[in-house]
Amino acid sequence: MGILLFITVLLIAACGLIYELIAGTLASYLLGDSVLQFSTIIGCYLFAMGIGSALSRYIDRGLAYRFVWIELMLGVIGGCSSALLFLAFAYTQGFQLLMYSLVVVIGILVGLEVPLLMRLVRGRYHFRDVVAHVLTFDYLGALGASLLFPILLVPYLGLVRSAMLFGVINVLVALWSTFLFASQISTVRALRSLCVVVLCLLAVGLAEAKHITAAVEDNIYADEIIFSRDTRYQHIVLTRFKDDIRLFLSSHLQFSSRDEYRYHEALIHPGLSAIPAPRHVLVLGGGDGLAVREILKYPQIESVTLVDLDPEMTKLFSTNPMLTALNQKSFLSSKVHIINADAFPWVDSNTDSFDFIVIDFPDPTNYSLGKLYTTAFYKAVARHLSVQGLMVVQSTSPMFARDSYWCIAETLKQAGLQTFPYHVYVPSFGEWGFVIAGHRDFQLPASLPAGLRFVSVTGLPAMFQFPPDMSPLPMPPNRLNDQVLVRAYDQDWKDISH
Amino acid sequence: MKASRRQFLQSGSAALIGLSIKGDRAITGSFVNDSFQLGHHLRDRAQFPAPKQTDKRSVVIVGGGIAGLSAAWRLHKKGFTDFVLLEMNNQPGGNSRWGENEITPYPWAAHYVPVPGPKAVYVRELFEELGVLKDGHWEERYLCFSPQERLFLYGRWQDGIEPAIGLTAADRDQFRRLEDHIHTFRATGKFTVPMEVGFSDSTADLDRISFAEWLRAQGMNSRILNWYLNYCCRDDYGATTANTSAWAGIQYFASREPEEKGPLTWPEGNGWIVRRLMERIGYFVQPNRMVHRISQTNKGASVFSGDTEFRADFVIFAAPTFLAPYLIEGMAPLQNFDYSPWLTANLTLDRLPASYGTDPTWDSVFMDSPTLGYVDATHQSLRTHIDRTVWTFYWALAEGSPKENRQLLLTKDWNYWKEAILHDLERVHTDIRQCVSRIDIMRMGHAMARPNVGAIFSAERRTLTKPHGRILFANSDLSGFSIFEEAQYRGVTAADFVVSKLGGHRISR
Repeated sequence: MGILLFITVLLIAACGLIYELIAGTLASYLLGDSVLQFSTIIGCYLFAMGIGSALSRYIDRGLAYRFVWIELMLGVIGGCSSALLFLAFAYTQGFQLLMYSLVVVIGILVGLEVPLLMRLVRGRYHFRDVVAHVLTFDYLGALGASLLFPILLVPYLGLVRSAMLFGVINVLVALWSTFLFASQISTVRALRSLCVVVLCLLAVGLAEAKHITAAVEDNIYADEIIFSRDTRYQHIVLTRFKDDIRLFLSSHLQFSSRDEYRYHEALIHPGLSAIPAPRHVLVLGGGDGLAVREILKYPQIESVTLVDLDPEMTKLFSTNPMLTALNQKSFLSSKVHIINADAFPWVDSNTDSFDFIVIDFPDPTNYSLGKLYTTAFYKAVARHLSVQGLMVVQSTSPMFARDSYWCIAETLKQAGLQTFPYHVYVPSFGEWGFVIAGHRDFQLPASLPAGLRFVSVTGLPAMFQFPPDMSPLPMPPNRLNDQVLVRAYDQDWKDISH
Repeated sequence: MKASRRQFLQSGSAALIGLSIKGDRAITGSFVNDSFQLGHHLRDRAQFPAPKQTDKRSVVIVGGGIAGLSAAWRLHKKGFTDFVLLEMNNQPGGNSRWGENEITPYPWAAHYVPVPGPKAVYVRELFEELGVLKDGHWEERYLCFSPQERLFLYGRWQDGIEPAIGLTAADRDQFRRLEDHIHTFRATGKFTVPMEVGFSDSTADLDRISFAEWLRAQGMNSRILNWYLNYCCRDDYGATTANTSAWAGIQYFASREPEEKGPLTWPEGNGWIVRRLMERIGYFVQPNRMVHRISQTNKGASVFSGDTEFRADFVIFAAPTFLAPYLIEGMAPLQNFDYSPWLTANLTLDRLPASYGTDPTWDSVFMDSPTLGYVDATHQSLRTHIDRTVWTFYWALAEGSPKENRQLLLTKDWNYWKEAILHDLERVHTDIRQCVSRIDIMRMGHAMARPNVGAIFSAERRTLTKPHGRILFANSDLSGFSIFEEAQYRGVTAADFVVSKLGGHRISR
């Protein structure tokens, strides 16, 4: 009997600590500032335990009966605490009030547990042994809980179900206690029935917890996150809201499936349609396969070489059915060759010649990416252009990052190329700019592939007109040893976000 | 964008688990390229074998650093093929030696050349030949990429090494006044690179006091300014301002006016230049050839190495000049040649430390550190994604006497220096011990000439720049300080002198 009793102590200690950890984690996650949240929650909790211990002296009679009741209450309140807090955060303003109330109530109940238990077993053992054993198992339980919580419970069960699980354990302890102290309880049967009913309710809660979490998350985030992965190179996130799929790379929006056709048609067709008989195309960046989808609309093209850094990205857009529907399985075409490599060294060492080169990199937000927007890079790329060849460069927004846009155009010029800047409107991006560049003159194409939704022959001339608020600015070129573009881009976005 | 709840909790729990197994990783490494044993043989006049064979050449070059390689480059350009270069170490390059591992090539010492001004004609000629200078434009990929330099002070990074944050009005005023002085000195045209071009006796007064004394005389007592100037002197001369001639201190600033944002640099530092030179004249270079004696007559000189006697019309002595009295028969000991001991280390980083405040730069310096900070070998990489790198850590033992510091270099073991380096880095990168897997350390007892007070205008130095019978001295220390341009200048002019004496008839041989 002794060991079973002390295992009871171990379990209730674990339950108590788990509720506290759940409250702290939830508060850190939802409110931020984990140091503040954990400190205040631990403080309140320990203080409430003190209150509980102090209150225990006022319980004179029916110790066992009251102990069972305390376990039942802890099971219900603690078990539902996580779900309650999530719902409160999603639907009410009273999250913090509820959280501290729950912490205090749970703390008081936990504070009552051990003193009552020690008094219950007082007659059976020496006082010295009771104190030693009860406290030993109490601390052991705390150790177990604190290890289980981060390693198993949070990753595999989540916060809502972890709380429910430990609620179940509290109720099982209650039920068990009715046997352990059967002789000291008069209404054993009624109490046992109550335990079974509560147990069933919590078990249902445990099974249904997923729905609660889902309901809550949908309310916190506008769009559902359908894919999220940290690769060696970046953080890939896909979100979906109804029929709109969005791709974020390291938190920067890359496309929205609702209007990406505008971006990709504008990126490809003005340049590619202006080349008499294009056969070989190079795409640098563009791991989503959307630019390649547009390129494959020209049947005379024999090969498309795509160089993208991240193999996980090209794999995702080659295999995920929702994404291959978006890029029309462009990566599965036999004409397409995917090379996962860093673009600058690849361009430097490769000797192939191309009729059309698409440069579609993330914006120059740091000095590493900035290298891909320098005179040195454009000179290296230009060596790959065939006699009739042209290239096109994604060049940020001439509206929101006007300095940056014209800096990129100037950089292409200083690399010895003729430049032909143009812009389009993409609702999810705003005004967006591109620059066509080459060793030759560029004439607007007289015809385009059939079935385009945005770019049209009649609409083309307007794309090459810049209204006064986006008109050219004198900018120095971006060079490896003087990356003015990165600083300009940073400043441009600071200017519009203040 | 917010991270998903699951992700947050997973990363949180990972951190909790990580905490329990976190510990410092094992760091391997050793001393490398030690050459003082060879030097000590010479110093102690060890017994060397008698010659068994002779090898006749027009010219023998002793020493395969930049000076010797430049002399060879010049001779070869002038059509000379009857010469040999003897290098003590197994790898040529001297202070421009480099190493390479699976991540990147990296420098062992000299790692850049400031963008040369118009007076450095030989450097410009070499760089045109190497494609560094094309049609008047400096090749972009050899110029140091943005962002170039940063300084850690007051617990954060700032752009550039010259302190720019936390200055008082007095500090700013003194920086401005120094700039005015420098501007005036520069305008005289007497401070140039190479120094010989503008060298003038009218500036001799500046060589009679230390840079620190000169600064005091100008009322420049700003702590920040003095830290910065001390850093500059330690970096170029391996000495503090108190041990640097005021002439040399002013030369550092007044001799340059860059025409392009530089400097010129490569992953393996100036080892890149050595490699290009070796492609051209490597045929003439004999490594592992320690010279132990040089004798001369009116008609020529003999260079003894191993069991070979090289008989030559002229010897270009491009090794450090302090070695000459130990090698050249009848040469008196030198009084005015002093050298700074240095330590460099190459640290292999399997992951990059967390870096707050700025993007990682090429050169990182820490204020109030006795070291010179570190240079990132992958900074000149064209890649956008870099997750492993090599840092070259520089430490000129400038405080105290060179002799004692040389002793310290020799007596302390690898572990001592490893810990000293990590302690210094830890102040800035608290997680450095979790990033570094290897630290190789190179100790150089006589790394750089030290422009002490009086050294620049000493009669001894000026005499040695003239031919010594059939021997021409060519090391950069003849200029009083060790920089690439001076080494190249000395090597090229020594070669030009030899060519003028030997004339064209040797070419046909």
